[in-house]
Amino acid sequence: MIALSHIYVLLPAYNEASSIIEVINGLKNKGIHNILVINDGSTDNTAQLVRQEPVHLVNHLINRGAGAAIQTGIELARHQGWPYIALMDADGQHDANDILVLKEKMEQSNCDLVVGSRFMKNGNQIPRTRIVFNFIANLMTNIFSKKKFTDSQSGLRLLNRKAIESINLELDGFGFCSEMLNKAEKADLKIEETATKVLYTKYSISKGQDFNVGITTAFNFLWNIFFK
Amino acid sequence: MEIRIFQILVPLAALLFIISFINRYTKSKASLKETIFSIILWLSIAIFSVFPDIISNFVAELFGFKSNINAIIFLSLGVLIYSQFRMYTLIKDQRQQLTKLTRRLGLEEFENKEE
Repeated sequence: MIALSHIYVLLPAYNEASSIIEVINGLKNKGIHNILVINDGSTDNTAQLVRQEPVHLVNHLINRGAGAAIQTGIELARHQGWPYIALMDADGQHDANDILVLKEKMEQSNCDLVVGSRFMKNGNQIPRTRIVFNFIANLMTNIFSKKKFTDSQSGLRLLNRKAIESINLELDGFGFCSEMLNKAEKADLKIEETATKVLYTKYSISKGQDFNVGITTAFNFLWNIFFK
Repeated sequence: MEIRIFQILVPLAALLFIISFINRYTKSKASLKETIFSIILWLSIAIFSVFPDIISNFVAELFGFKSNINAIIFLSLGVLIYSQFRMYTLIKDQRQQLTKLTRRLGLEEFENKEE
C-alpha cells in the first residue's frame, strides 16, 4: 500500500495565476498535502499566490520550459528522499482524483512508473488537433520504445523511488514526456498506463503544445536520440 | 593576368577584418583561437579572390566535379551546412548551461529557505 502522505505532487507552473490555487485546493480536497510548485519564471503573480499556500515552492528566475521544471522537481525529490512523486499539469486539465487512480495502478501492477492516458478513457472530449498531434507524437515515441504507449505526451504520471533515482532528463521543453519513457525503458523500469480524465478548456488548450512547439519537441527528441 | 575589381576589393576587406580581429585580440576581446581561426579564414578568402580560376579548377579536379562553378557551389553548401550544425550545437549547449544555472539557483534558494 502506498500512503498518500508519501506522494509528493509536482506542479510545473508558468503563468498559471488563474488556475494554480484551484489545482492546489483540488489536491488538498483529495487528502494530498505534499505539493511542490515549480514556478518556471512566471511573469504574472503565480509565485505570490503560491507563497500564501502551505506548499513547497521552487523558483526558476527565468522560463526554461516544462522539462526543466520537472528536472528541478525530480532532483529535489532525490535530495529530499521523497518516496513517490506525481507529475501533474498546473493548468487545471487534470482531475486530482486521478492521482489516486495512478496510485492504485502502481499498487496493483507493482510498476515503477504509471502514465495517465487520456486516450484509454471513454468520454474524454479531446480536440481534434490534439488527437492528431498526439497520434504523431505517439508514433515517434513508439518507434524508439519497446512498449507501445497510447499517450506518450501525458503530463500526469506517478514515479516511485527507483524511477526518481534512475531517470535523468535532459530536454528542457515538452520533449521530456517521450524522453522520460525512453530513459525509463533503458533503466529497465516497469511502466504501466492507466485511463485518466482530461478536461480541455480554452485556457488549457492555449497552455499546451501547439504545432510549432510540437515540431520543436519532435526535433529536440530526435536530436537527443541521434546526437547524444 | 587581367585584374578584376573584386580581386582588389575582397583582399582589402579581408585585410580590414584581419586588422580588426588582431585589434580585438590585443584588447582581450577575442581569444587566441578565435583570432587565429579568423585570420586563416580571411586569408583563405583573400587568396581565393586573387586566384579564383586556379583554385576552383583544382577543387573541381580534386573532388571530380565537371565544372569549377559546381565545385565551388557544393563546397560552399557543405561549409554552410557544417557551420549551421556547429552553431546549433553551440546554441543548444548554451541553453543547457542556462537551464542548469537557473535550476541550481532555484534549488539553492529552496534549500536555504528550508534551513
